[in-house]
Order: sequence, then structure tokens, then C-alpha cells
Amino acid sequence: MSGLACAGAAIAILILLSWPLIFNNKFYITIGTMVVLSAIGATSLNLIIRTGHVSLAHAAFMGVAAYTCVLLQMRLGVPFWLAMVAGCLASGLLALILGPIVLRLTGKYFVLVTFLVGEIIRMIFVEWQSLTGGANGIQNIPPGLDIMKTPTGFYYLALGAAVVCVGIAWRILSSEIGRAMDSVREAEKLAECSGIPVIKLKITIFVISCTLVGVYGILQTYLLQFIDPSAFNMEASLNLVVMNVLGGMYYLLGPVLGSTFLAALPELLRGYVDLQRVIFGVILIVVMAALPGGIIGLMEALRRLIQKLTAGKTS
Amino acid sequence: MFTLPILSQVVVNGLSLSAIYVLVALGFTLLFGIMRVVNFAHGAFAMLGGYALFYAYGSFKLPYALAVFGSAFTVACFGLIFEYLVYRWFYQKMFQSMIGLMGLNMAIVFSSVMIWDVNERTIPAAASGILSVWGLTIPMDRLVIMGITIVVLSLFWFFVTKTRHGLAMRAASQDVDIAAAQGINTTFIYRLAFFVAIFMTALAGGLYAQTYALSPFIGERPLMVAFIVVILGGMGSIPGAALGGVLLGMGESFLSTFYGAAVSSFVSFGVVVALLIFRPWGLLGKPE
Repeated sequence: MSGLACAGAAIAILILLSWPLIFNNKFYITIGTMVVLSAIGATSLNLIIRTGHVSLAHAAFMGVAAYTCVLLQMRLGVPFWLAMVAGCLASGLLALILGPIVLRLTGKYFVLVTFLVGEIIRMIFVEWQSLTGGANGIQNIPPGLDIMKTPTGFYYLALGAAVVCVGIAWRILSSEIGRAMDSVREAEKLAECSGIPVIKLKITIFVISCTLVGVYGILQTYLLQFIDPSAFNMEASLNLVVMNVLGGMYYLLGPVLGSTFLAALPELLRGYVDLQRVIFGVILIVVMAALPGGIIGLMEALRRLIQKLTAGKTS
Repeated sequence: MFTLPILSQVVVNGLSLSAIYVLVALGFTLLFGIMRVVNFAHGAFAMLGGYALFYAYGSFKLPYALAVFGSAFTVACFGLIFEYLVYRWFYQKMFQSMIGLMGLNMAIVFSSVMIWDVNERTIPAAASGILSVWGLTIPMDRLVIMGITIVVLSLFWFFVTKTRHGLAMRAASQDVDIAAAQGINTTFIYRLAFFVAIFMTALAGGLYAQTYALSPFIGERPLMVAFIVVILGGMGSIPGAALGGVLLGMGESFLSTFYGAAVSSFVSFGVVVALLIFRPWGLLGKPE
């Protein structure tokens, strides 16, 4: 089985690396870029989900980073790299300020408060017209780097960023911190009694996650060369949640798989935008009602079933 | 600026807004209190209520009272299909219900976009003209909204406190297993509560769409309102929903008249966030 997994991973890496070469077409390369970028967003949200919280303010943090970066570059002429770092730090800083307040709540209250905080941040984007351009947003954002001028270049830039971000998430989840996060999710009181600093851990993860999602927000904005508040509304946050739910919330591979489906499908089904939303909705209901483990959970269950069947034959 | 005619206008607008908000929030709090379901599809049912009223009153020209109650009744019956297909699986599962019902919301809203397109429609007003008493002017359509709401709320109050099924519903909201052990048919009670909740939501949606405009996306605002009101009053608390609805409706009417719509949204959201942090169980709820 692990041989099969290795082969799968090798094929996936090969496809990811050679994607622009296989499909030498601007449209498909851009879809690839979007998939890779949304994997960053979904993975960063996965970190928060692993501590037992579902945040609906994640897209708002994306927006904070993206607006900071765009405004620094366009108004003050700050070089892109510096502006990008500043943008990510801005969303991280906001998370550090809000985290200790909102993370006192758990479960449904956390979902509700992040939903409202996200809406408040989005309303600030709309209302602060002198700075953000209001509901019209800011058009014609110049490419930040030379590599961003070609679709292929942008794809490899996004892939690099995704590898770094997913790598960070993987490193966290497979370390001692990751196991502490699992224990906080499963039994918070027990974890606290075992000496895990629960609140401190949650805030740290929240800040890291919101910093990482800044990368997604900034790169997506530069890909579209356009920024407006509607890209950072509740629906965008919800999309990230859907990616996690569909792929499998409690596996790192889950959000990556989920984002492949959910970022590629809308682009390929451009003519049927409404129908595809309906299908997403139905998928969400079915997955939540019947398959809490998502795609990965389904595969895991199938694997166990096959193992059981083959074990039955040999014995 | 704070003159009597303006203030009286603010109060009348506030009361008619409060009426709609209380109706929306009561349905939401009922579903939460009894089935432990966070109904993210609440706005979608309000929107369907708007379309039902659009056809019943705008197209078929039924008498107004019949159109209003008939359309809400139709949507509630239609909602029972969703109860059977979707909601049943999420009872007593708070977390799964949130995400699953966001999916239902998306499915209903975008199906409506496919059926009715995104253009805004208007429902003709129930009554035109104004009523003048003691120098105050009150638009008739606002009075109609308040009247309908008062009727429905009194019926609801009578149903919950004075009837057998209302008693069974209150028992089920306290402890489902014990209620079932006393011989209460909880499946039926759940269905009944669901029906009542969707009826009130669809009614509120119709009145809301009549006051503003109708499109597949009008459900967003009632959903947001239901959240705010229910958090203000306390999740699952019926008097809390009434208090929260009046507070939000009056506050919004006052702030948006004197300081603009943006200020009013910021203040109501800010107050709710603060309340959630310091008193998550709301004004009239009980801590868990």
C-alpha cells in the first residue's frame, strides 16, 4: 500500500512540475495556478480546524494582507517582496490582536463571532473609500515581479509558495505541536490538565494560519490584477471550509485534494456557474450528513474494507 | 433634527422593522432551541416566502390576507420536503448542521437564480396612503405589517403556552430523551416545530420583500438579522428573540436615520461581537 502511495505522490509531483509543459495554453496554466494558490488557503485554514475551530473570517484576513500589499506597492512604491512580507505580517498582527479575544469562545460561538468579525472587516474595505476604493476596488495592479508577467512564470512562483506553505503546515502538524493540537481538539480540558498551554497554542496557530493565508490573498490579487471587497466575503471563507470538508478535515492531504476539485471545477464549468453552486451545496450536505471524513475518509474506509476482505480470504 | 415628526417616523419604521426581525429570529431560535440545528438556510426560506407572496399577491391577485398567510403556508409545506431530505440528518448535531445547511442555503439560492434570474422584482404594496393622528403621519403599509405580526405572535404565544402540542414542544426543547420517555412523539414534534419556524420565516420574508425589493439574494440580510437578534437575546430563548428583535429594529431605525446605514451596521455588529465575547449566552439566555 505504501508503495502505491509513493507512486501516487511521484505522479502528483511530476504532473505539478510539468503542468505548464503538458498544457501549453494560457487558460489551463492559469487554472493550475488557481488550484495551487487555493491549496495554500485551504491548508492554512486546516491548521485552525485542527485545533477544533472553524473560522469564517479567513477570507477577511486574506483581504487585509492583499490590501496592505497592494496599497504599499502602488501608493508608496515599496518593492513587491517587502510589501508582500508586510501584508502577511499585517494579517498576522491583526490575528494576534483579535485572537486572544475571539479564541476565548469555542464551537458554535466561535463560528458566529468569526462570521461577524469577517463581515465587519469586509465592511471596512467597502466604507473606507479614500484608501481602498470602496466597492469598486482597485484596478490595473501592476505585476509585482518580472516572473509574474507570463502565466508559466506565475505558475511556478505559486507552486513554490504553495510548497513552502504546505511544508510549514506539515512540519507543524507532524511535530509535537501537532499532537498537542489534536489533543486540544479531542479533549480540551484533559489537554490543559496534561500541561498544554491551550490558549497560547490556539493563538499561535491562529496567527500562523492568518499569516499564511496572506500569501494566498496577495498572490491571487496579483494574478487577477484587481482587488475588490467581494473577493473577501463570507462565501470566500466558506469556499475554504468546503475544500477542507470535502477533502477531509483531519488529514493534511484533505485540503490539498479538496482545493484541486473546488478551484478547478468552477473554471472548467464556467458556463454553468449557478448549477455548479447548487451541486457544491448538495455535496456539502451529503458529505456532512454521511461522510464526515471527506474524500480521504472515504478512501481510508475503502482501504480498510479491502484489507478486511483480503484478510478473510487468506485466513 | 430631533423633532417630533421625524422621531415619530423613526419609531414607526423601527417598530415595523422590529416586527419582521422578531418573526425571522423566532423561527431561528425555535430550530436551535429544540433541534440544536444552526439554520444557515434560514434566509433562503425567507427569500422563498418573498417569491411565494410575489406570485400570490402580485400575479394571482389574491386578497391580501389570504395571499400573505397562504404563501407562508405553502413555503412551510415545501420546507417539510427539506426536513425529510436534509434536516432530519442534522438534528442534535450542531457543528455538522452549520456546514451542511450552508450547503443547503447555497443550493436553494442558486436554484432560485436559475429559476427566477437575478433581476429585482417588486411586490405591490398592501395598502397605500397614510394615517394622520395628532399631527403624526403613519404609512398604512407599515401598520399592516405590524398588525399581521401581532396576530401571528399572539397565535404563537397561545400555541406554545396553552396547547398540548406546545407543551410537548417545550418538553422536547428541555430534554428530548426524557420527553420521548413520557410518550411524546418527538419525530412529530420536530416536524411541527420545523413547520412553525419556516412558516414564520417565510411570512417575514414576504413582508421584507414587500417593503424593500425581491431577488434571490435578499435572504442574506434576514439571515444576518436572525443571527444578531438571537445572539442578543440568547440562543434558544423565545422571549430573548422578541427582545433582541425590538432592540435591533429600533436601534437600526434610529441610527440609520440620524447617522447613516454604515454606522448602524457597524454599531449593531460591534455590540453583538462584544456581547458574544463577554456574555455568549445573550441577554436572556442561560449559561451552559
